[in-house]
Amino acid sequence: MTVQTSRLSVRARPRTRAVSRQTRKRRWIGLLFLSPALLLYGAIVLVPLIQTVNYSFYKWDGVSEPTWMGLQNYLEFGRDPRMYAAFGHVLVLIVMFGLIPLGLGLISAALLSRAKIRGEGIYRWFLFLPQVLTSVVVAIIWKRIYAPDGPLNTVLRWVGLDSLTRNWLGDFTWALPSLGMIGVWGGFGFTMVLFLAGILAIPDELYEAARLDGSTRWQEFWLITLPSLRGQMAIALTLTITGALRTFDMVYITTQGGPGDATTTPALLLYQLAFVNPDVGKASATGVVLALLCLGIAVGITRMMENKDR
Amino acid sequence: MISRYERLSNYVIVIVLTVAVLFPVAWFVLTSVSPNTSGALDLSRISLSNFSAAWRDGNLAHSMYASLVITVSAVIGQTILAILSGYAFGVLGVVGERFLFPVILLGMMVSTEVIVIPLYYEFQRVGLTNSWLGLVIIQLGMGVPFGTYWMRATFRALPRSVMDSAAVDGAGVWSTLWRILVPMARPAVLTLVILSFMWTWNDFFLSLIFLGDPEKQTATVALGAFQGRHVLQVNLMAAGSLIVSLPVVALYLFFQREFISGVMAGAVKE
Repeated sequence: MTVQTSRLSVRARPRTRAVSRQTRKRRWIGLLFLSPALLLYGAIVLVPLIQTVNYSFYKWDGVSEPTWMGLQNYLEFGRDPRMYAAFGHVLVLIVMFGLIPLGLGLISAALLSRAKIRGEGIYRWFLFLPQVLTSVVVAIIWKRIYAPDGPLNTVLRWVGLDSLTRNWLGDFTWALPSLGMIGVWGGFGFTMVLFLAGILAIPDELYEAARLDGSTRWQEFWLITLPSLRGQMAIALTLTITGALRTFDMVYITTQGGPGDATTTPALLLYQLAFVNPDVGKASATGVVLALLCLGIAVGITRMMENKDR
Repeated sequence: MISRYERLSNYVIVIVLTVAVLFPVAWFVLTSVSPNTSGALDLSRISLSNFSAAWRDGNLAHSMYASLVITVSAVIGQTILAILSGYAFGVLGVVGERFLFPVILLGMMVSTEVIVIPLYYEFQRVGLTNSWLGLVIIQLGMGVPFGTYWMRATFRALPRSVMDSAAVDGAGVWSTLWRILVPMARPAVLTLVILSFMWTWNDFFLSLIFLGDPEKQTATVALGAFQGRHVLQVNLMAAGSLIVSLPVVALYLFFQREFISGVMAGAVKE
């Protein structure tokens, strides 16, 4: 009996080893297939990422010898009002590029979810259009809309709200929210289409069962729709918030950060510091902080979604 | 099943939202065919002359060509890289994947701004600034994280039995990929192509930094410069903008279903 088992196991062992050897060989082939992408990625993303950290410890104008600064560039953050402003603005942009589209997308998707709407493809095409339009073009369109003689003020005058008309992008108070509105406009079609797709994937039986149990639409939303859209919400939030953090084109075209520093963003500041009036070390420090912020937010969103899982 | 009131309210919601999104764009389209330089609409005298004027004044022929070359090269390269690396992670397995895959995914969270400074100064040193090739290389490297993630998920979702039977039939690793898996994954590949076309064509930041020479610049950068010069000719600006956004919008018009269904599939898979 014992002999037999041991013989069996002896016979079994070489086979598993053979399989694993084959698997191992395949994994080396896998590495070979991956290598072109990995090399490019390493050269274009990873190495510069490390270099940026390195740059951030120096003072450098891009031409002459760099001088070691230690953490000076980072310490200056606390003293430089422009830095404060830039990162503060990102908070506003995160709300308007990320959270408001998320909310609007959820509400409209929930309202429309079970409905059969004629011409679905058409309205979806239009709602998604801002995602597809070149960001520079979006910026130019809105720059016109907000202009002193642009359509927004014209409409306000038509309806007799002359007191509200202003140079939207030239106004210290209104410039940033006006930019944020572009984010809302562009973002919510995307979230809505994403959520509608997610809702379609929820089995009908769940809703039927809920109806039988006499639950209201509100309860259906909280108990079925919302939990089922967790994955889509994580995607939407990560994409829109990273988008907000990267805001550059919009600001560069519309306001160049003005009036004053009212609409500077970290990306714009980084661009100016790195290429316009080179203070490369400080620009790099901005980049590093931006990267950490991105990472923290992405990790945070994933954590939040995992917690809801339990 | 749905009450009439509910159905009506659904239509109202849809129409209000669509109009809200569409209004700025529609207004811009109408501006582009109006002769009035102030941007005031004049639909009694519609003309297309703004488009030819914008094409001429905005140096668009040249810069559209630049965008086209850069975008097509980047899309082809990115797609091939994504298929290879997605196959590696999704099907073959990779030595050290527990380390490598997260490292590559990390790239999705690395914003361009963080790496662009050393890239610029390094590329300047080796003469790759003001070069289309330089920009394409950057686009390729930066496209790796999403492409890998996307194609890995696609290949993993394919039934395992297909690959096993391919192996039984004696198909090699290479031919399994190109003869069996890629054709099966065609919708996802198409989506990747479209997304990557859109991202590369629409890029402004990288082109602005790496192609400072007006002779080399892409359509988005040329348009940015154009709108700065022609603040007082709103109709020209609108026409130029429409020209620059046309390739992507046309693609979207043509591939809408694939495009959105691809986004859906990607989202559901997660």
